[in-house]
Order: sequence, then structure tokens, then C-alpha cells
Amino acid sequence: MGYELRPHTADVAVAATGATLGEAFAATGDGLAAATCDRIPDTGERFSLTVRAEGLEALLFDYLDQLIYERDVRGVLPVANEASVRNADTEWVVDASARGVPFADVTARDVKAVTYSEMRIEETDAGWETYVVLDV
Amino acid sequence: MTTREIDGIRLEQVREFVWEIPQEGDMRAPARVLASDALLDEIGEDKTLQQLQNATHLPGITKHAICMPDGHQGYGFPVGGVGATDAETGCISPGAVGYDINCGVRMMKTNLTYDDVQGREEELVEALFANVPSGLGGGGVVDGDRETIEAVLERGVDWALEEGWAVPDDLEHCEDEGRRPDADPSAVSQKAKDRGKNQLGSLGSGNHFLEIQRVTDVYRDGVAGAYGLEPDQIVVLIHCGSRGLGHQTCTDYLRKIEKEHGDLLAELPDKELAAAPAGSELAEAYYGAMCACINFAWVNRQLIMHRVRQVFARVFDRSWESMDMHLLYDVAHNIAKKESHTVGVDAEGRPVPDGEATDEEERELYVHRKGATRAFPAGHPEVPAAYRDVGQPIIIPGSMGAGSYVLRGGESSLDLTFGSTAHGAGRLMSRTQAKQEFWGETVQDELREQNQVYVKAQSGATVAEEAPGVYKDVDEVVRVSDALGIGDKVARTFPVCNIKG
Repeated sequence: MGYELRPHTADVAVAATGATLGEAFAATGDGLAAATCDRIPDTGERFSLTVRAEGLEALLFDYLDQLIYERDVRGVLPVANEASVRNADTEWVVDASARGVPFADVTARDVKAVTYSEMRIEETDAGWETYVVLDV
Repeated sequence: MTTREIDGIRLEQVREFVWEIPQEGDMRAPARVLASDALLDEIGEDKTLQQLQNATHLPGITKHAICMPDGHQGYGFPVGGVGATDAETGCISPGAVGYDINCGVRMMKTNLTYDDVQGREEELVEALFANVPSGLGGGGVVDGDRETIEAVLERGVDWALEEGWAVPDDLEHCEDEGRRPDADPSAVSQKAKDRGKNQLGSLGSGNHFLEIQRVTDVYRDGVAGAYGLEPDQIVVLIHCGSRGLGHQTCTDYLRKIEKEHGDLLAELPDKELAAAPAGSELAEAYYGAMCACINFAWVNRQLIMHRVRQVFARVFDRSWESMDMHLLYDVAHNIAKKESHTVGVDAEGRPVPDGEATDEEERELYVHRKGATRAFPAGHPEVPAAYRDVGQPIIIPGSMGAGSYVLRGGESSLDLTFGSTAHGAGRLMSRTQAKQEFWGETVQDELREQNQVYVKAQSGATVAEEAPGVYKDVDEVVRVSDALGIGDKVARTFPVCNIKG
């Protein structure tokens, strides 16, 4: 259970797995951090976020987008992500948290945005798999 | 007729360097690839052709969707893609513009020669790296408060002029004089503005860079003279975009379109092609927001350029004016713009693919250029007065080891490409593979020892990801552009110092 960075001509893709949807989402978030930074220190405080969307793919898109937003506005790299995903009536919700490593503690590159390109969220025998292409 | 089949996609050669994917199935127009055999081989190695074919599904697409010689796989719409949709009956697609709205390049001239700079490269690269924010979280040249961001989005480089970050000459040498009149700051979300606030005047990272270069070759003396370029001259190239503000704006509108125009989205083969129907509220809002992001990106590059002037003034201990540090031109790579072009129409005056056309008409189009550069020829009214007699300058950045080109808009560009050409060398290799094949410090040492190019980056990984070997042959890209007459070779430059995020 975790993530792998996969090749893409211009950009970077993250393939992640988790025993639950939440774990797979959090692992995708960790992949986003890995695409940004090679070595992650132990510094930073945890913060929480909740994201709602009309579908599962939209939820993953919005969750990663929110991590990128928090990164730029808080000035921290969100790492060690934790997440749980639930279905509430007509929408999907992810309750998540991350440790925000101050930019001063890392040498990081910019990931511009999350994309829908080739996005996959699939249930497997072992849990869930995701695949997301990031715009670098 | 010469034909090729790549991954199940059939291409017919129309003439040298022009390949056509015929219209079939749900395609609304044919697609064209402008490439030599060698470039087509590379273009065929990833999903570029499939993405180009998908782009022809956009409603109201006219003539062809076109892939420039440096094209490669993007997300949704290929990088190096040009697609012109009817502004009345078609659509506008944030996906066909890309996340980094008005990512682009500008070149500043100087009256210094390579002799003036040799021996001082280290000092220059250190001074630039210390003074031009780059990487993630490096801040910006200006601390942007709420009022500043609104003014930048609304007024573009006019704001920079008012604040002392530009001179009138800068505006005269920028597309639209550095201000998009259609900008609507109220259509840019607070989230996007929050992200832009501390990034105003920053390079970012990835393939963005700032480079001191020397002119090594001049191919068209008259045009080079009009541009003020001569051999051995030092110039500065700046490549960056609208930063988090632009990225967030694209993201916001992709999601809005998904929610409000799901029916149109369902007809498209890729969600990243998300488009708002022409005339819809969302199409108008996105156009206004995108134009505001264009202004932001112009100011971003302007602030960096002005900071470079200050750095040069300090390093060479003389005023930047005495070094004739003037803007040559600024080109955008990722925008959609309302432009008038001649297209085929049917008996009722509706735009249709050339094969079905009974007549031609001047129509207003949204010309989407994603990883492509506008290339208007001499005489076009939208070329700044300073260059109207010779054609619009086009700046094609190459890799750190291959140098860059200055072209001018060619006479065939309006016929062949809606007035467009390539935007760079185009990537050949993924970033993950690049990091396996190259080591940042080795690349840096080799460039310095073998090519006398001084590189400084926030991250060694970025140097590896941007190593010269990961890019296509920029010479071949430019050769095709020149031979087709869409962008003619004017001059070539080679790096001296390079900083990146």
C-alpha cells in the first residue's frame, strides 16, 4: 500500500493503492508530495481539511487541488497524509489531514495542478487503486 | 500518396512536412501534423496523435486541429496544439489552453557583448539567483496585497508602469501593449487570487528559467536589424507563466464546466477537453478570467525583467539604460484569443471543414494555442507598429545545451496554422526517466566545462529533469517552421548563464 511515480512525457503520474478508499486517497496525496520533493524532513504541524464533491473522481481531483492550494497559501508542503472517504446522500466527502512541512525546510519543485487526464479509481481484491497525472 | 499508420491512426502526407489525419467517426474536422519524418517518429511515440484526434471533437472547430513540429503528449489537448473554434457557434476550452495560462517567453536585449560578460558569469548567475525568486515558496519580486492583485489582473503592464516597474517602451514591444482589454478580475476566484498574492514576480520551477544568452548566428540581416539583434550580443530570456493564480483559474473552470455543461462534456472523448459553449455565461466568464490571468503573467515576466535590469546595473556598475536593456518582445504559449480568420463556410454561412465548404468567410474564432506561439506575418494589424514591416518576433527557447531561436511570423502562417508556430524544442523524455538517466550535478559540470554555460538551480533534480538530452532537436523544429514559412529563422542564441527553480 503506497504510491509510485510513473513516467509521463511532460508531466508526472502517481499510481497509488490503499486498503480503503481513504488510504488510497492519502497515498495519492503522498505521491503529490513526492513529485514535489525528494527528501521529506520530520518538521511541521498537522492541519485538517474537508472536501466535498459530486462524484468520486471529482472528489479526488478536488482533494488534490485543495492540497496544492493549502501548500501555496500556508507556505508548507503537505506530507504524511491521512484521509477517510464517505458517501453522504448525493455527494462524496473526504475528511483529511496532513503534516505541513515549512517550505524553508525543503528543496521543493512546483507541481502546478492536478488533471483528469487518464484518471482512474478502481476497487481491487486488495482494496483501491488510483492513477492521476499531475501538471508539472 | 504517402501514408503512415501510427498506433492505429492513419496519416496522409499532403506535402512535405504536412501530414493529415482524415476526418472520420465523430471527428468534426481533419487534423494536421506539421513535422519532418524524424519529428513525426518522435511525435508518434506517445499519445500526441490520439490527443490531437480527440481535439477535433471540440464543437465549432474549423479547418483542422494542428500539431506543431515540437508537439508532444499533454493532458486532453496535446502540447504544441492549435485549435480554432467558432466564437459564435463553437466553444472555448480551458483544457485547450492549459493550466499555466499565458506561460510564455520574453527576450530583453542589451548592448553588451559576450566579451563584457566572460569571466563574470559566476557573479552574474549568483546575483540573478539571489534576486529573482524561483522554486516553490520563494516569494515574488513584489508582495502582492489584495488591491495590487486586482490592479494587475485588470490593467496588466499598465500597472507595472504606474508603479515604476516598467517604462513606456516595454509596453510598445509587448502583445496588446501588455494589457488584455477583455480581462475580468471578478471572474477570477478568491482561491486563485490567494495563490497569486505571494508569487507576483517569480519563475516557479519545472521547465521555467531565466537565461543570459549570446547571439551566435544571424540568418536574415534585415529582420535582425529591425529587431536590434547582432552577433555576439548579450540578450536575456525569461520563461514563466501566471503561477498558482493561472493554474487555479484553469482548475476552477474545468470543474465549473463539468458541473454546468456535463452534456457537452459527455460528447467529448477526454474530460480534460472540457469546453463551454460559445455565448454561454461560463464561456464569457472563463474568457474574462483567462484574459486577467494573461495580464498577471505579463506582469510576472515584466517584474522579473525589471529586476534583471537592476541586477545588471549593480553587477556592471552602470545604469540599465546605458546598457540599452530593452524588451524585444513577449510571446504567450498557452492562451485562447478571439481573432478573425478566413475559414470555409457552407451555403448558410456556417463554418464547416474545408472539404464541405462552398465559400470562405472572415469569422471571429477562439484560437487556442497550447504550447504554440502566435506568429503573425508582416503587415498584420495586430503586430506592434515597431515590427509591422518585418513580422512579429517569435522566441523559441531550446534546451540548456542547444540554444534558442528568434524567428519572425512567416507569410504562410495565416493559411496553414491560424498564424501560429512552435513554442520550443518539445520534450522527448519523461521527468522520471530523466532523473534515472541524468544526475543534476553532472549535467551542471558538463555544461560548464564543455559549453561554458553556468547553471544554478534550487533543486538538482530540476537540472536533471531539464537536461539537454530530454528535449527534441530544436534545430529540426525550427527547420520545419522555416521551410513551411510559418516562422522564419532570424537569429540563434546560446546560453551563457541559466537559473531555474
